[in-house]
Amino acid sequence: MQLRYVFTELRQGLRRNLSMHVAVALTLLVSLTLAGVGLLLREQAQLTEEVWGDELQITFYMCNGANDRNPQCAGAVDDSQKKVITAALDDNRYVDKIEEESQEQAYERLQALDVEGVSGPDPVVKSSDMWESYWVTMTDPHHSAEIIEAVAGLDGIDHVGDVHEVTGPILAAVDGLQSAALVGAIVLVIAALLLVANTIRLAAFARRREIGIMRLVGASTLYIALPFLLESLVVALVGIGLSGIALAAVMYFGVEQRLSSTAVTQWVGWEEFFSSFAIVAILGILLTLVPTLLLTRKYIKV
Amino acid sequence: MIRFEKVSKAYPGQARPALNSLSIDIQKGEFVFLVGQSGSGKSTALKLMLREQRPTTGRVYVAGKEINRLAGWKVPRLRRQVGTIFQDFRLLANKNVAENVAFAMQVTGHSNREIRERVPETLELVGLDGKGDRMPDELSGGEQQRVAVARAFINRPMILIADEPTGNLDPGNTVGIMRLLDRINRSGTTIVMATHDVQMVDQMRKRVIELEHGHLVRDQVQGGYGAQF
Repeated sequence: MQLRYVFTELRQGLRRNLSMHVAVALTLLVSLTLAGVGLLLREQAQLTEEVWGDELQITFYMCNGANDRNPQCAGAVDDSQKKVITAALDDNRYVDKIEEESQEQAYERLQALDVEGVSGPDPVVKSSDMWESYWVTMTDPHHSAEIIEAVAGLDGIDHVGDVHEVTGPILAAVDGLQSAALVGAIVLVIAALLLVANTIRLAAFARRREIGIMRLVGASTLYIALPFLLESLVVALVGIGLSGIALAAVMYFGVEQRLSSTAVTQWVGWEEFFSSFAIVAILGILLTLVPTLLLTRKYIKV
Repeated sequence: MIRFEKVSKAYPGQARPALNSLSIDIQKGEFVFLVGQSGSGKSTALKLMLREQRPTTGRVYVAGKEINRLAGWKVPRLRRQVGTIFQDFRLLANKNVAENVAFAMQVTGHSNREIRERVPETLELVGLDGKGDRMPDELSGGEQQRVAVARAFINRPMILIADEPTGNLDPGNTVGIMRLLDRINRSGTTIVMATHDVQMVDQMRKRVIELEHGHLVRDQVQGGYGAQF
């Protein structure tokens, strides 16, 4: 095979369709970067869930006799009510661990926070004002509602504390950003596909006489298609390289320089960047080579 | 070398088939004129020989292969055994004469050494020695057609198919091209040439196959353009 001819054609093709190739590379840059951001956000969502999920507990506060407006509280919780509550928790498959906290322990914890009116000779809040509670650790943080539904209505339960109510909006925001990035990426991926298809069509049209002669003198389909495939590959590599730089910039300036100083959660690192970029690179190559292969089959069929 | 067995070819949307149960047999080393009015089926017959089209019914054999059964990936190999020239020359304007001729060897995977040897040799054969550096637009119509013949012949095909190769040439250049094709034919290459050139067919006295509305109406050894010969 005369590779010199192939590379000459490749060089000429790249020069001839330069503006189209730039358009494809820029569209690839934006679509692949968005896809990469989507993948990083997915990793971030998983990390956030892991971090918050470890601490994710539901707390069932039991009646202490001070709340007579709750129909489930006819005085302080008694042993029979506590047995029913612990049985309901034990039966629930999403419950991993149950820890009991007494009124005294709760009071000690409050005192440890050094809150005004708790310590001293005549405290405003006493241990009898605190609630006995069950701290339930879940096997899966997504199923807090099922546990609450099974237990919250039982006699002896005063109120429920669910950390998921706080973390839920954060995780939902991450999920929303991830979906938006992926939808944007899909739209731009379609644009990139159409641009690649258009470029190949134009390139095949510009070279129709040569292709016609090549077919007639017996050049193989691969030989005819090779300059087109290499042209697409070069553009794909440029687009992938640019999106790699853009994603690295997002990581460095966005995550490392700004977000990592806030200890709200654990942030994605360079390991997640490289795994996301590998997927982006494969996507970029598929995006350009698949339409090129399909269209060259159509336009330069022997 | 080329055999058509009851070949019909119908194009979608056309009431009449382009070829209708055509049977012909062309032997190795023959020079055959394919004549007939426009729309008689000459070009379709040539396209079938090149496997640019497939027959609707019947069988076409070229160089011992039935083209209808030939797998797509084997078609390039068949075409390397069949050279083609056209009325409009089909030269690449951005390549000089030598490059145009070499192109047929480059894209079929020949080495640079082979190309360097065979291009000047073929240019000499077609009477263009010393003109390898010229661009196509610097040549006369006759010279451009000689370049096309050189390109078609450089891979030494067994068959040369010519679709009205003298249609754009003046009488002087027509004679030159016909002499060249005759020389190539004498070297053993089978030539099938579609033409409307009455005078030239009458002078050459070769086998004439005449088509009319897709039917074979005459197959005459040493014939002329009209049936009176």
